[in-house]
Amino acid sequence: MFIELLLNGLTIGGIYALIAVGYTMVYGVIQLINFAHGEIYMLGAFFALTFLTALHLPFYAAFGLAMLLGALCGVLLDIIAYRPLRNSPRLAALITAIGMSIFLQNLAMIIWGSRPLPFPQNDLPAYFKQPALTVGGAPVSWLQLFIFIITILLMIGLYLIIHKTNTGKAMRAVAQNKTMAALVGVNVNRIITVTFALAGSLGAAAGILVGAYYNSVYPTMGYVAGVKAFAAAVLGGIGSVPGAMLGGVILGVAEAFGAGYISSLYRDGISYAVLIAVIVLIPAGLFGKLSRETKKSL
Amino acid sequence: MVETGRRKFDKSASLKLAALAVALVLPILPFTSEYLIHVCILIFLYMVLALGLNVVPGFNGLLDLGYVGFYGIGAYTAGLLTVNFGLSYWLIMPLAAINGAIWGVLLGAPTLRLTGDYFAIVTFGFSELVVLVITNEIWLTRGPLGLPGIEPVSIDFSWFGGPVWYLEGDTPGVYYLILAMVLLTLFVMTRVQNSRLGRAWFAIRDDELAAVSCGVNLLRYKVIAFAISAAFGALGGSFYARWVSVLSPTDFAFWESFLVLCMIVLGGLGNIWGVLIGATALVSLGEILRVVLPLVGLPMNVRFLFYGLIMVLTMRLRPAGLLPIPAVAERMRIVGARRKKPVAKVFNK
Amino acid sequence: MKPILEIKELSKNFGGVTALSKVSFSIYEGEILGLIGPNGAGKTTLFNCVAGVDKPTSGRITFHARNGGEVSVGGKKPEHVTALGIARTFQNIRLFDALSVLDNVKIGRHCRTKSNFFGAVLRTGFQRREEREIEESSREVLAFTGLTDRYEEVASALPYGDQRRLEIARALATEPRLLMLDEPAAGMNPQESKDLMNLILRIRNKGVTVLLIEHDMKVVMGICERVVVINHGSWLAEAGPHEVAKDPKVIEAYLGSGAAVAS
Repeated sequence: MFIELLLNGLTIGGIYALIAVGYTMVYGVIQLINFAHGEIYMLGAFFALTFLTALHLPFYAAFGLAMLLGALCGVLLDIIAYRPLRNSPRLAALITAIGMSIFLQNLAMIIWGSRPLPFPQNDLPAYFKQPALTVGGAPVSWLQLFIFIITILLMIGLYLIIHKTNTGKAMRAVAQNKTMAALVGVNVNRIITVTFALAGSLGAAAGILVGAYYNSVYPTMGYVAGVKAFAAAVLGGIGSVPGAMLGGVILGVAEAFGAGYISSLYRDGISYAVLIAVIVLIPAGLFGKLSRETKKSL
Repeated sequence: MVETGRRKFDKSASLKLAALAVALVLPILPFTSEYLIHVCILIFLYMVLALGLNVVPGFNGLLDLGYVGFYGIGAYTAGLLTVNFGLSYWLIMPLAAINGAIWGVLLGAPTLRLTGDYFAIVTFGFSELVVLVITNEIWLTRGPLGLPGIEPVSIDFSWFGGPVWYLEGDTPGVYYLILAMVLLTLFVMTRVQNSRLGRAWFAIRDDELAAVSCGVNLLRYKVIAFAISAAFGALGGSFYARWVSVLSPTDFAFWESFLVLCMIVLGGLGNIWGVLIGATALVSLGEILRVVLPLVGLPMNVRFLFYGLIMVLTMRLRPAGLLPIPAVAERMRIVGARRKKPVAKVFNK
Repeated sequence: MKPILEIKELSKNFGGVTALSKVSFSIYEGEILGLIGPNGAGKTTLFNCVAGVDKPTSGRITFHARNGGEVSVGGKKPEHVTALGIARTFQNIRLFDALSVLDNVKIGRHCRTKSNFFGAVLRTGFQRREEREIEESSREVLAFTGLTDRYEEVASALPYGDQRRLEIARALATEPRLLMLDEPAAGMNPQESKDLMNLILRIRNKGVTVLLIEHDMKVVMGICERVVVINHGSWLAEAGPHEVAKDPKVIEAYLGSGAAVAS
């Protein structure tokens, strides 16, 4: 049971990491908790679902396309909702984020209905259900393996973008000091948009993986997953990308073990408890540094 | 203390009196249906809640995303005390409020040192945990099965040989009860606003460093604010329990917190009269949508889509709210101007 | 002359940066002491250490209380320091922008008053008397600083010079024994500076000791009885204003920043 819980925890942890990274990157550049990020995750799942069932696209094409749409959603969110408030008090931006989150959830309800929809198992590659290998006696299906691999690939990809490209360098500059970045010629608004695009694509990817893994897609799925991923980002130190990755994995494993050994009813509660505990006891998280911005109040 | 925005309103003291007169007389008017009374009760309930929440973001400038947690604690306190011990509502009201205040202190004392964003997240986490506990501790609260059979409020005249008068459902009796609670809350809020306590809060909201240098202990005053806000949330919850007679954990979702927050932001953050208007506007809108949406073939819950949209638009177009405190609106403008053009600021130095 | 504040070997490091290094001097009751030095010398940091905003890395700050006792002030919380009798103003004015002029000063009375929630709601006799006292004393302070007839105006609407005076009024409302002013004359025209100097003299004549950070040498020469010079976080010189102006070390510290000491 231990190995199974561990594998399950790592799988879900990787997914939390994908979402958490989105939160942390956006917070890093504009110091805003993007409450609507969970909804991009949810929309990614629904987009993939629609591509598979209505358009009958092959799985990998649907996956890629949905990620692209996720990026687009992130960009639209920034341009329409957040950018106009760039110079407003932070309370206004926070409220807008929550407002957009609720708006998108309900929009999804209108479009796809509020009942959970199953992920079309027939449209997934057939071998997904079959066990690929066994680790310590527990079977690992191809789907789980796929999730592990994709998660790792995406995170490596993100790391490369952030540390090996000029855009990534500009992103890090904007996160550290917007004014100076602007002074050395960085187009701050464009970098922020790129950040939202990256965050959106990863969030959408996470949504698709979850939809496939749990075989269920519903409009409010972004809400709980969003809170958990945010807890992971805070655990890792908000603003730190490696922190968010590590935080996601830790939270996923903690949740799996907590639900397995202690109580499955309070499964979600573990995230809330971690969130509160981290914020109260070690607000900077594992890797983060409390920046000046975070120290100021509203 | 006279906040300069209020001078406009002292002139419309007559407006407030007129509104009060209408409110007092409404249930007796011939054309008043039970549905109208129901909506008014709902409006008054949300007025109490919104006035309570207003203490934290409005007076102190701290975002609170977990208000529904105290609402739920108050409701279940009242519900459980009624169902298990048959206590009279007049005893339960203060008990629920005190319980709310206690939880406000317990949650606030360790967390109010945190900065705005983090504090908001913690309050959110707390309210979610409250709902989880209510849902899962079935031995206590019957969880998702709900807590039914809560007796309505009663006034017992049997000492004097009179009847026992039940205030239940959508009747004038309940209407006047909640109206009285609104007036009580308003009374407390106006008194506090004009006092040393209120001034200390406004100082904290405006500039914490300056407040501290005038001798204001930040943590103590923030905890007091949070506890008072929690007490009123719980008070509203206790009324809710004895009005609807059945409680269910799904009544206390995060959306309720957000809705009350919308009311105070829309009305004008910090302005208690604006809060009343915000509550009236959003509850009325909700009722209108409840009727209109099914006609258009949409589920009723989707009215939250409009709430979300209204919030986004309000923040974009009129962030200080419908009845802004002029000085607060002015400060938002100053903050906005300061944050614009950071490059220009560097060069102009 | 009795000392009212003694600073001994005060040091403050921020990470790797040394802002203050073993600064020692005393302030005597009833004097107006100037604290000068080039930008970045550590003057505001010193204020912050005394006022409790920053915690000293080492050294002692001793405040002589009304009753003669000595209190070590370094590391105390700012609200406590104000209650003890040390008030300060800020380099970049920190008023309560959204509140009226009168309310700004009333908040200054906070540390000398006591009413709480129950007093506010129930309007007890004690609370009502206290509110009256707050109202009267606040008006008095405003009159003293020359800001009459503007009580209900929003603080942010005042002209710059009046905002500075309001901040001083608010600090006076806390009934300080020692008032620390951080560049009060910054941005003032000559007439405003003159009015400010008069105000500071009147404050001193009421028995309040004044510690003044200032760059405007006319003000320093005009009202300071003694001057302490700080440079790069260290004590440089301490004497009457004219002696300090002639001190070659001081001139060298200021060289190139245009502080040719003209009178």
